[in-house]
Amino acid sequence: MKRQLYVIGVVSGFAVITLLLWPRLTDRLLTTDFLPHAYCYLQNSGLVWTNVAADSLIAIAYLAISVTLIYLGYKGRYDIPFPWMFVIFGFFIVACAATHFMEVVTVWIPVYFVSAAVKLFTAAVSVAAATVLPFTVPQVFALVQQAKTTQQMTEQLRASEDRKDALLQEVHHRVKNNLTVICSLFYLQSTHTKDEEAIRIFRDMERRVHSMALVHESLYRSEGLERIDFADYARTLSQDILSSHGGLSAQVRMRIELETVMMGVDLAVLCGLILNELMVNSFKHGFNDRAKGEIKLTLHRDAHNQCTLSVEDDGVGIPPNLTVETSKTMGLRLVRSLTRQIRGSFELSKRDRGTSACLRFKVDQHEQ
Amino acid sequence: MNNEVVSREQRALIVEDEVLIAEELRDRLSRLGFSIIAAVDSCDEAVAIAARERPDLVLMDIRLKGAKDGIEAAKEIRMQVDVPIVYLTAYSDRATLDRAKATDYDAYILKPFHRRELQSTIEVAIKRHAIRVHGME
Repeated sequence: MKRQLYVIGVVSGFAVITLLLWPRLTDRLLTTDFLPHAYCYLQNSGLVWTNVAADSLIAIAYLAISVTLIYLGYKGRYDIPFPWMFVIFGFFIVACAATHFMEVVTVWIPVYFVSAAVKLFTAAVSVAAATVLPFTVPQVFALVQQAKTTQQMTEQLRASEDRKDALLQEVHHRVKNNLTVICSLFYLQSTHTKDEEAIRIFRDMERRVHSMALVHESLYRSEGLERIDFADYARTLSQDILSSHGGLSAQVRMRIELETVMMGVDLAVLCGLILNELMVNSFKHGFNDRAKGEIKLTLHRDAHNQCTLSVEDDGVGIPPNLTVETSKTMGLRLVRSLTRQIRGSFELSKRDRGTSACLRFKVDQHEQ
Repeated sequence: MNNEVVSREQRALIVEDEVLIAEELRDRLSRLGFSIIAAVDSCDEAVAIAARERPDLVLMDIRLKGAKDGIEAAKEIRMQVDVPIVYLTAYSDRATLDRAKATDYDAYILKPFHRRELQSTIEVAIKRHAIRVHGME
Protein backbone atom coordinates (compact mmCIF):
# COMPACT_ATOMS: atom_id res chain seq x y z
CA MET A 1 0.00 0.00 0.00
CA LYS A 2 2.79 2.39 0.98
CA ARG A 3 4.52 1.56 -2.32
CA GLN A 4 1.56 2.66 -4.42
CA LEU A 5 1.26 5.96 -2.54
CA TYR A 6 4.98 6.35 -3.07
CA VAL A 7 4.54 5.87 -6.84
CA ILE A 8 1.84 8.55 -6.91
CA GLY A 9 4.01 10.93 -4.91
CA VAL A 10 6.98 10.39 -7.22
CA VAL A 11 4.95 10.85 -10.39
CA SER A 12 3.21 14.02 -9.16
CA GLY A 13 6.55 15.26 -7.79
CA PHE A 14 8.01 14.82 -11.25
CA ALA A 15 5.21 16.91 -12.72
CA VAL A 16 5.82 19.71 -10.24
CA ILE A 17 9.58 19.60 -10.70
CA THR A 18 9.21 19.68 -14.49
CA LEU A 19 7.10 22.80 -14.12
CA LEU A 20 9.58 24.45 -11.76
CA LEU A 21 12.66 23.60 -13.82
CA TRP A 22 11.12 24.92 -16.92
CA PRO A 23 11.83 28.66 -16.43
CA ARG A 24 10.29 29.75 -19.68
CA LEU A 25 7.15 27.95 -18.78
CA THR A 26 7.17 29.18 -15.20
CA ASP A 27 7.82 32.71 -16.33
CA ARG A 28 4.91 32.56 -18.61
CA LEU A 29 2.74 30.47 -16.30
CA LEU A 30 0.33 33.25 -15.60
CA THR A 31 0.65 34.99 -18.93
CA THR A 32 -2.63 35.94 -20.53
CA ASP A 33 -1.33 36.72 -23.98
CA PHE A 34 -3.82 34.33 -25.52
CA LEU A 35 -7.40 34.68 -26.58
CA PRO A 36 -9.91 33.52 -23.96
CA HIS A 37 -11.74 30.36 -24.98
CA ALA A 38 -14.96 32.31 -25.37
CA TYR A 39 -13.58 33.68 -28.63
CA CYS A 40 -13.38 30.15 -30.02
CA TYR A 41 -17.07 29.84 -29.24
CA LEU A 42 -17.48 33.15 -31.14
CA GLN A 43 -19.17 34.52 -27.96
CA ASN A 44 -22.15 32.30 -28.74
CA SER A 45 -23.77 32.60 -25.29
CA GLY A 46 -25.64 29.33 -25.60
CA LEU A 47 -22.43 27.45 -26.36
CA VAL A 48 -20.43 29.35 -23.69
CA TRP A 49 -22.92 28.76 -20.91
CA THR A 50 -23.58 25.18 -21.87
CA ASN A 51 -19.84 24.49 -21.61
CA VAL A 52 -19.44 26.52 -18.41
CA ALA A 53 -22.46 24.88 -16.77
CA ALA A 54 -21.42 21.36 -17.80
CA ASP A 55 -17.80 21.81 -16.71
CA SER A 56 -18.85 23.40 -13.41
CA LEU A 57 -21.26 20.58 -12.65
CA ILE A 58 -18.65 17.96 -13.53
CA ALA A 59 -16.07 19.72 -11.34
CA ILE A 60 -18.45 19.95 -8.37
CA ALA A 61 -19.57 16.34 -8.76
CA TYR A 62 -15.97 15.13 -9.02
CA LEU A 63 -15.05 17.05 -5.91
CA ALA A 64 -17.97 15.57 -4.00
CA ILE A 65 -17.07 12.05 -5.17
CA SER A 66 -13.42 12.50 -4.28
CA VAL A 67 -14.27 13.80 -0.83
CA THR A 68 -16.40 10.70 -0.24
CA LEU A 69 -13.68 8.38 -1.55
CA ILE A 70 -10.89 9.95 0.46
CA TYR A 71 -13.04 9.96 3.58
CA LEU A 72 -13.94 6.30 2.98
CA GLY A 73 -10.31 5.37 2.42
CA TYR A 74 -9.28 7.18 5.59
CA LYS A 75 -12.12 5.93 7.78
CA GLY A 76 -11.93 2.36 6.61
CA ARG A 77 -8.15 2.14 6.62
CA TYR A 78 -8.35 -0.72 9.12
CA ASP A 79 -11.41 -2.49 7.72
CA ILE A 80 -11.53 -1.90 3.98
CA PRO A 81 -9.04 -3.82 1.85
CA PHE A 82 -6.87 -1.51 -0.33
CA PRO A 83 -7.79 1.76 1.38
CA TRP A 84 -5.01 3.43 -0.60
CA MET A 85 -6.94 2.62 -3.80
CA PHE A 86 -9.72 4.84 -2.54
CA VAL A 87 -7.24 7.58 -1.75
CA ILE A 88 -5.61 7.31 -5.21
CA PHE A 89 -8.97 7.44 -6.94
CA GLY A 90 -9.90 10.35 -4.70
CA PHE A 91 -6.84 12.30 -5.88
CA PHE A 92 -7.40 11.18 -9.45
CA ILE A 93 -10.91 12.56 -9.38
CA VAL A 94 -9.82 15.75 -7.59
CA ALA A 95 -7.37 16.28 -10.43
CA CYS A 96 -10.11 15.66 -13.00
CA ALA A 97 -12.27 18.20 -11.19
CA ALA A 98 -9.45 20.75 -11.36
CA THR A 99 -9.08 20.15 -15.09
CA HIS A 100 -12.74 20.86 -15.65
CA PHE A 101 -12.54 23.89 -13.36
CA MET A 102 -9.71 25.26 -15.51
CA GLU A 103 -11.87 24.73 -18.59
CA VAL A 104 -14.39 27.09 -17.00
CA VAL A 105 -11.72 29.65 -16.08
CA THR A 106 -10.13 29.72 -19.56
CA VAL A 107 -13.43 30.59 -21.16
CA TRP A 108 -12.79 34.15 -19.94
CA ILE A 109 -9.23 34.21 -18.54
CA PRO A 110 -6.72 32.60 -20.90
CA VAL A 111 -4.30 31.13 -18.32
CA TYR A 112 -3.56 28.21 -20.63
CA PHE A 113 -0.22 27.41 -19.00
CA VAL A 114 -1.87 26.91 -15.62
CA SER A 115 -4.50 24.86 -17.36
CA ALA A 116 -1.81 22.77 -19.04
CA ALA A 117 0.02 22.30 -15.74
CA VAL A 118 -3.16 21.08 -14.06
CA LYS A 119 -3.78 18.76 -17.00
CA LEU A 120 -0.24 17.42 -16.71
CA PHE A 121 -0.75 16.72 -13.02
CA THR A 122 -4.06 14.99 -13.82
CA ALA A 123 -2.30 12.93 -16.45
CA ALA A 124 0.34 11.88 -13.95
CA VAL A 125 -2.20 10.82 -11.35
CA SER A 126 -4.36 9.09 -14.01
CA VAL A 127 -1.38 7.14 -15.32
CA ALA A 128 -0.45 6.19 -11.78
CA ALA A 129 -4.00 4.99 -11.04
CA ALA A 130 -4.20 3.15 -14.36
CA THR A 131 -0.84 1.48 -13.71
CA VAL A 132 -1.62 0.44 -10.18
CA LEU A 133 -5.14 -0.85 -10.84
CA PRO A 134 -4.25 -3.99 -12.86
CA PHE A 135 -1.89 -5.17 -10.12
CA THR A 136 -4.75 -5.27 -7.63
CA VAL A 137 -6.83 -7.61 -9.81
CA PRO A 138 -5.44 -10.90 -8.36
CA GLN A 139 -5.75 -9.51 -4.84
CA VAL A 140 -9.34 -8.41 -5.47
CA PHE A 141 -10.16 -11.86 -6.84
CA ALA A 142 -8.57 -13.44 -3.80
CA LEU A 143 -10.63 -11.11 -1.66
CA VAL A 144 -13.86 -12.07 -3.41
CA GLN A 145 -12.94 -15.73 -2.99
CA GLN A 146 -12.19 -15.11 0.67
CA ALA A 147 -15.54 -13.37 1.17
CA LYS A 148 -17.25 -16.36 -0.40
CA THR A 149 -15.37 -18.78 1.84
CA THR A 150 -16.18 -16.66 4.88
CA GLN A 151 -19.86 -16.77 3.97
CA GLN A 152 -19.74 -20.54 3.59
CA MET A 153 -18.00 -20.84 6.93
CA THR A 154 -20.60 -18.62 8.55
CA GLU A 155 -23.32 -20.88 7.18
CA GLN A 156 -21.51 -23.96 8.44
CA LEU A 157 -21.06 -22.35 11.83
CA ARG A 158 -24.72 -21.49 11.97
CA ALA A 159 -25.67 -25.05 11.03
CA SER A 160 -23.34 -26.43 13.68
CA GLU A 161 -24.81 -23.97 16.18
CA ASP A 162 -28.28 -25.29 15.33
CA ARG A 163 -27.04 -28.87 15.73
CA LYS A 164 -25.53 -27.95 19.08
CA ASP A 165 -28.85 -26.45 20.21
CA ALA A 166 -30.74 -29.54 19.07
CA LEU A 167 -28.24 -31.74 20.88
CA LEU A 168 -28.48 -29.66 24.04
CA GLN A 169 -32.26 -29.84 23.89
CA GLU A 170 -32.02 -33.60 23.45
CA VAL A 171 -29.70 -33.83 26.46
CA HIS A 172 -32.12 -31.83 28.61
CA HIS A 173 -34.93 -34.04 27.42
CA ARG A 174 -32.94 -37.14 28.38
CA VAL A 175 -32.03 -35.73 31.79
CA LYS A 176 -35.64 -34.84 32.46
CA ASN A 177 -36.80 -38.23 31.21
CA ASN A 178 -34.34 -40.02 33.47
CA LEU A 179 -35.42 -37.95 36.45
CA THR A 180 -39.03 -38.78 35.63
CA VAL A 181 -38.09 -42.46 35.52
CA ILE A 182 -36.48 -42.07 38.97
CA CYS A 183 -39.77 -40.55 40.20
CA SER A 184 -41.57 -43.58 38.78
CA LEU A 185 -39.12 -45.88 40.56
CA PHE A 186 -39.78 -44.18 43.91
CA TYR A 187 -43.50 -44.38 43.29
CA LEU A 188 -43.42 -48.03 42.29
CA GLN A 189 -41.26 -48.95 45.27
CA SER A 190 -43.67 -47.11 47.58
CA THR A 191 -46.54 -49.29 46.35
CA HIS A 192 -44.67 -52.36 47.60
CA THR A 193 -44.67 -51.48 51.26
CA LYS A 194 -47.31 -51.13 53.95
CA ASP A 195 -45.02 -49.11 56.19
CA GLU A 196 -46.47 -45.57 56.37
CA GLU A 197 -43.10 -44.07 57.29
CA ALA A 198 -41.41 -45.73 54.29
CA ILE A 199 -44.19 -44.55 51.96
CA ARG A 200 -43.73 -41.01 53.27
CA ILE A 201 -40.00 -41.17 52.62
CA PHE A 202 -40.51 -42.38 49.06
CA ARG A 203 -43.05 -39.62 48.42
CA ASP A 204 -40.62 -37.01 49.75
CA MET A 205 -37.85 -38.32 47.53
CA GLU A 206 -40.18 -38.40 44.54
CA ARG A 207 -41.10 -34.77 45.22
CA ARG A 208 -37.47 -33.70 45.45
CA VAL A 209 -36.48 -35.39 42.21
CA HIS A 210 -39.61 -33.99 40.63
CA SER A 211 -38.57 -30.45 41.61
CA MET A 212 -35.26 -31.05 39.82
CA ALA A 213 -36.92 -32.46 36.71
CA LEU A 214 -39.13 -29.37 36.54
CA VAL A 215 -36.07 -27.13 36.05
CA HIS A 216 -35.22 -28.99 32.86
CA GLU A 217 -38.85 -28.79 31.88
CA SER A 218 -38.86 -25.00 32.42
CA LEU A 219 -35.96 -24.68 30.01
CA TYR A 220 -38.26 -25.48 27.11
CA ARG A 221 -40.43 -22.53 27.96
CA SER A 222 -37.51 -20.12 28.27
CA GLU A 223 -35.82 -18.31 25.42
CA GLY A 224 -32.39 -19.93 25.52
CA LEU A 225 -31.22 -23.29 26.80
CA GLU A 226 -29.01 -21.87 29.54
CA ARG A 227 -31.24 -19.87 31.81
CA ILE A 228 -34.75 -20.14 33.16
CA ASP A 229 -37.17 -17.68 34.65
CA PHE A 230 -37.37 -18.81 38.26
CA ALA A 231 -40.77 -17.13 38.68
CA ASP A 232 -42.19 -19.34 35.96
CA TYR A 233 -40.61 -22.39 37.57
CA ALA A 234 -41.80 -21.48 41.08
CA ARG A 235 -45.35 -21.02 39.79
CA THR A 236 -45.40 -24.52 38.29
CA LEU A 237 -43.73 -26.11 41.30
CA SER A 238 -46.12 -24.49 43.77
CA GLN A 239 -49.11 -25.56 41.72
CA ASP A 240 -47.76 -29.12 41.68
CA ILE A 241 -47.17 -29.13 45.42
CA LEU A 242 -50.63 -27.68 46.02
CA SER A 243 -52.28 -30.34 43.86
CA SER A 244 -50.29 -33.17 45.44
CA HIS A 245 -51.40 -32.01 48.91
CA GLY A 246 -55.03 -31.82 47.85
CA GLY A 247 -55.82 -34.65 50.24
CA LEU A 248 -54.99 -32.42 53.21
CA SER A 249 -57.80 -31.82 55.65
CA ALA A 250 -57.17 -28.09 55.65
CA GLN A 251 -58.31 -25.97 52.73
CA VAL A 252 -55.08 -24.20 51.76
CA ARG A 253 -55.02 -21.21 49.46
CA MET A 254 -51.88 -20.02 47.62
CA ARG A 255 -50.98 -16.40 47.10
CA ILE A 256 -48.19 -15.90 44.61
CA GLU A 257 -46.23 -12.70 44.01
CA LEU A 258 -43.24 -13.40 41.81
CA GLU A 259 -40.88 -11.13 39.94
CA THR A 260 -39.02 -12.38 36.91
CA VAL A 261 -35.55 -13.62 37.89
CA MET A 262 -33.45 -15.27 35.20
CA MET A 263 -30.89 -17.78 36.46
CA GLY A 264 -28.70 -20.61 35.26
CA VAL A 265 -29.79 -24.23 35.54
CA ASP A 266 -27.37 -25.04 38.38
CA LEU A 267 -28.64 -22.30 40.66
CA ALA A 268 -32.25 -22.97 39.68
CA VAL A 269 -31.97 -26.65 40.66
CA LEU A 270 -30.64 -25.72 44.13
CA CYS A 271 -33.20 -22.94 44.68
CA GLY A 272 -35.91 -25.28 43.43
CA LEU A 273 -34.93 -27.94 45.98
CA ILE A 274 -35.00 -25.34 48.77
CA LEU A 275 -38.36 -23.96 47.66
CA ASN A 276 -39.74 -27.50 47.53
CA GLU A 277 -38.68 -28.15 51.15
CA LEU A 278 -40.09 -24.85 52.40
CA MET A 279 -43.45 -25.30 50.74
CA VAL A 280 -43.81 -28.95 51.66
CA ASN A 281 -42.92 -28.02 55.27
CA SER A 282 -45.69 -25.45 55.35
CA PHE A 283 -48.19 -27.91 53.94
CA LYS A 284 -47.10 -30.73 56.24
CA HIS A 285 -46.75 -28.94 59.55
CA GLY A 286 -48.42 -25.56 59.14
CA PHE A 287 -52.08 -26.46 59.24
CA ASN A 288 -52.31 -29.53 61.44
CA ASP A 289 -55.21 -28.30 63.54
CA ARG A 290 -56.69 -25.88 61.00
CA ALA A 291 -59.65 -26.02 58.67
CA LYS A 292 -58.12 -23.58 56.23
CA GLY A 293 -55.02 -21.52 55.68
CA GLU A 294 -52.96 -19.51 53.28
CA ILE A 295 -49.43 -19.83 51.95
CA LYS A 296 -47.83 -16.77 50.43
CA LEU A 297 -44.95 -17.23 48.03
CA THR A 298 -42.95 -14.17 47.01
CA LEU A 299 -39.84 -13.64 44.91
CA HIS A 300 -38.25 -10.24 44.78
CA ARG A 301 -35.06 -8.98 43.18
CA ASP A 302 -33.47 -5.66 44.09
CA ALA A 303 -31.23 -3.43 41.98
CA HIS A 304 -28.08 -5.28 43.13
CA ASN A 305 -29.35 -8.67 41.94
CA GLN A 306 -29.99 -9.66 45.53
CA CYS A 307 -33.00 -12.00 45.52
CA THR A 308 -35.42 -12.70 48.31
CA LEU A 309 -37.53 -15.83 48.10
CA SER A 310 -39.98 -16.21 50.91
CA VAL A 311 -42.65 -18.68 51.93
CA GLU A 312 -45.05 -17.44 54.60
CA ASP A 313 -47.98 -19.28 56.07
CA ASP A 314 -50.63 -18.32 58.60
CA GLY A 315 -50.57 -21.77 60.22
CA VAL A 316 -49.60 -23.02 63.65
CA GLY A 317 -46.06 -21.61 63.57
CA ILE A 318 -42.75 -23.29 64.39
CA PRO A 319 -42.12 -24.87 67.79
CA PRO A 320 -40.37 -22.36 70.12
CA ASN A 321 -37.21 -24.47 70.45
CA LEU A 322 -36.69 -25.04 66.72
CA THR A 323 -33.75 -23.32 65.02
CA VAL A 324 -32.46 -23.81 61.50
CA GLU A 325 -28.90 -24.38 62.72
CA THR A 326 -29.70 -27.21 65.11
CA SER A 327 -32.78 -28.80 63.56
CA LYS A 328 -32.32 -32.49 62.86
CA THR A 329 -35.07 -32.79 60.24
CA MET A 330 -34.04 -33.81 56.74
CA GLY A 331 -35.89 -30.87 55.20
CA LEU A 332 -34.11 -28.16 57.19
CA ARG A 333 -30.80 -29.97 56.85
CA LEU A 334 -31.22 -29.80 53.07
CA VAL A 335 -32.14 -26.12 53.22
CA ARG A 336 -29.13 -25.42 55.43
CA SER A 337 -26.65 -27.17 53.12
CA LEU A 338 -28.11 -25.86 49.88
CA THR A 339 -28.16 -22.29 51.22
CA ARG A 340 -24.47 -22.65 51.92
CA GLN A 341 -23.88 -23.90 48.39
CA ILE A 342 -25.58 -20.90 46.79
CA ARG A 343 -23.78 -18.60 49.30
CA GLY A 344 -27.06 -17.27 50.53
CA SER A 345 -28.63 -16.73 53.90
CA PHE A 346 -31.71 -18.33 55.37
CA GLU A 347 -33.99 -17.26 58.14
CA LEU A 348 -36.91 -19.03 59.72
CA SER A 349 -39.06 -16.95 62.01
CA LYS A 350 -42.33 -17.09 63.85
CA ARG A 351 -44.83 -14.48 62.85
CA ASP A 352 -47.91 -13.21 64.69
CA ARG A 353 -49.74 -15.97 62.96
CA GLY A 354 -47.72 -18.72 61.35
CA THR A 355 -44.21 -19.04 60.01
CA SER A 356 -42.03 -17.04 57.69
CA ALA A 357 -39.16 -18.67 55.80
CA CYS A 358 -36.91 -16.35 53.92
CA LEU A 359 -34.01 -17.17 51.58
CA ARG A 360 -31.67 -14.45 50.35
CA PHE A 361 -29.15 -15.03 47.58
CA LYS A 362 -27.38 -13.22 44.82
CA VAL A 363 -28.06 -14.15 41.22
CA ASP A 364 -25.15 -12.93 39.11
CA GLN A 365 -22.28 -14.53 41.05
CA HIS A 366 -23.37 -17.91 39.72
CA GLU A 367 -23.55 -16.83 36.10
CA GLN A 368 -20.58 -17.45 33.90
CA MET B 1 -75.50 -40.73 30.33
CA ASN B 2 -73.09 -39.91 33.10
CA ASN B 3 -74.19 -42.98 35.01
CA GLU B 4 -73.49 -45.11 32.00
CA VAL B 5 -69.95 -43.73 31.89
CA VAL B 6 -69.13 -44.66 35.47
CA SER B 7 -71.11 -47.86 35.87
CA ARG B 8 -69.16 -50.03 33.44
CA GLU B 9 -65.52 -50.74 34.21
CA GLN B 10 -63.36 -48.39 32.19
CA ARG B 11 -60.61 -49.88 30.05
CA ALA B 12 -57.46 -47.93 29.29
CA LEU B 13 -54.63 -48.31 26.80
CA ILE B 14 -51.22 -46.92 27.76
CA VAL B 15 -48.82 -45.90 25.00
CA GLU B 16 -45.47 -44.96 26.52
CA ASP B 17 -41.93 -45.87 25.46
CA GLU B 18 -40.42 -45.58 28.93
CA VAL B 19 -41.39 -48.87 30.56
CA LEU B 20 -41.04 -47.73 34.17
CA ILE B 21 -43.19 -44.67 33.57
CA ALA B 22 -45.70 -46.99 31.89
CA GLU B 23 -45.62 -49.18 35.01
CA GLU B 24 -46.36 -46.20 37.21
CA LEU B 25 -49.24 -45.18 34.94
CA ARG B 26 -50.57 -48.73 35.03
CA ASP B 27 -50.56 -48.62 38.82
CA ARG B 28 -52.06 -45.16 39.10
CA LEU B 29 -54.80 -45.89 36.56
CA SER B 30 -55.78 -49.12 38.32
CA ARG B 31 -56.11 -47.14 41.54
CA LEU B 32 -58.43 -44.78 39.68
CA GLY B 33 -60.59 -47.80 38.78
CA PHE B 34 -59.39 -48.52 35.26
CA SER B 35 -58.51 -51.91 33.94
CA ILE B 36 -55.46 -51.78 31.71
CA ILE B 37 -55.78 -53.40 28.30
CA ALA B 38 -52.05 -53.09 27.56
CA ALA B 39 -49.04 -50.83 27.83
CA VAL B 40 -47.29 -50.57 24.46
CA ASP B 41 -44.44 -48.48 23.13
CA SER B 42 -44.98 -48.17 19.38
CA CYS B 43 -47.47 -46.48 17.10
CA ASP B 44 -48.42 -49.62 15.15
CA GLU B 45 -49.16 -51.71 18.25
CA ALA B 46 -51.18 -48.85 19.72
CA VAL B 47 -53.30 -48.44 16.59
CA ALA B 48 -53.91 -52.20 16.25
CA ILE B 49 -54.96 -52.63 19.89
CA ALA B 50 -57.08 -49.47 19.95
CA ALA B 51 -58.95 -50.55 16.81
CA ARG B 52 -59.57 -54.05 18.20
CA GLU B 53 -60.36 -53.24 21.82
CA ARG B 54 -62.00 -49.79 21.58
CA PRO B 55 -60.63 -48.59 24.94
CA ASP B 56 -62.43 -45.98 27.04
CA LEU B 57 -59.20 -44.03 27.36
CA VAL B 58 -55.87 -43.83 25.58
CA LEU B 59 -52.90 -42.28 27.38
CA MET B 60 -50.51 -41.34 24.60
CA ASP B 61 -46.88 -40.36 25.02
CA ILE B 62 -45.63 -38.23 22.15
CA ARG B 63 -42.20 -39.79 21.92
CA LEU B 64 -42.49 -43.43 20.90
CA LYS B 65 -40.29 -46.23 19.61
CA GLY B 66 -40.03 -46.30 15.84
CA ALA B 67 -40.48 -43.73 13.12
CA LYS B 68 -44.02 -42.67 13.96
CA ASP B 69 -44.68 -40.60 17.08
CA GLY B 70 -47.69 -40.32 19.36
CA ILE B 71 -49.31 -37.58 17.32
CA GLU B 72 -49.23 -39.84 14.27
CA ALA B 73 -50.62 -42.70 16.35
CA ALA B 74 -53.46 -40.53 17.68
CA LYS B 75 -54.40 -39.55 14.13
CA GLU B 76 -54.45 -43.15 12.96
CA ILE B 77 -56.49 -44.28 15.96
CA ARG B 78 -59.00 -41.50 15.40
CA MET B 79 -59.49 -42.61 11.79
CA GLN B 80 -60.64 -46.02 13.04
CA VAL B 81 -62.28 -45.52 16.42
CA ASP B 82 -63.47 -42.49 18.33
CA VAL B 83 -61.98 -42.82 21.82
CA PRO B 84 -60.80 -40.22 24.36
CA ILE B 85 -57.10 -39.54 23.87
CA VAL B 86 -54.93 -37.85 26.49
CA TYR B 87 -51.45 -36.82 25.42
CA LEU B 88 -48.61 -37.23 27.86
CA THR B 89 -46.18 -34.60 26.82
CA ALA B 90 -43.33 -32.38 27.79
CA TYR B 91 -42.71 -28.99 26.29
CA SER B 92 -40.02 -30.91 24.41
CA ASP B 93 -40.27 -28.24 21.82
CA ARG B 94 -42.82 -25.68 20.85
CA ALA B 95 -43.28 -27.10 17.35
CA THR B 96 -44.23 -30.56 18.67
CA LEU B 97 -46.68 -29.09 21.13
CA ASP B 98 -48.30 -26.99 18.41
CA ARG B 99 -48.51 -30.04 16.17
CA ALA B 100 -50.15 -31.98 18.99
CA LYS B 101 -52.62 -29.18 19.58
CA ALA B 102 -53.56 -29.22 15.88
CA THR B 103 -54.76 -32.82 16.14
CA ASP B 104 -58.03 -33.98 17.61
CA TYR B 105 -57.39 -34.81 21.25
CA ASP B 106 -59.30 -34.46 24.48
CA ALA B 107 -56.67 -33.34 26.97
CA TYR B 108 -52.98 -33.38 27.63
CA ILE B 109 -50.83 -33.83 30.71
CA LEU B 110 -47.41 -32.33 31.01
CA LYS B 111 -44.70 -34.70 32.18
CA PRO B 112 -43.51 -34.93 34.88
CA PHE B 113 -47.07 -35.34 36.11
CA HIS B 114 -48.75 -35.62 39.46
CA ARG B 115 -51.36 -37.96 40.82
CA ARG B 116 -54.18 -35.47 41.26
CA GLU B 117 -53.41 -33.85 37.96
CA LEU B 118 -53.60 -37.24 36.26
CA GLN B 119 -56.97 -37.97 37.79
CA SER B 120 -58.57 -34.61 37.03
CA THR B 121 -57.20 -34.49 33.49
CA ILE B 122 -58.52 -37.95 32.73
CA GLU B 123 -61.94 -37.02 34.08
CA VAL B 124 -62.00 -33.89 31.93
CA ALA B 125 -60.94 -35.85 28.85
CA ILE B 126 -63.65 -38.49 29.27
CA LYS B 127 -66.32 -35.84 29.84
CA ARG B 128 -65.19 -33.78 26.87
CA HIS B 129 -65.20 -36.80 24.67
CA ALA B 130 -68.68 -37.79 25.82
CA ILE B 131 -69.97 -34.31 25.05
CA ARG B 132 -68.31 -34.37 21.66
CA VAL B 133 -69.79 -37.77 20.77
CA HIS B 134 -73.25 -37.58 22.34
CA GLY B 135 -73.73 -33.83 22.26
CA MET B 136 -74.53 -31.65 25.27
CA GLU B 137 -76.75 -33.36 27.79
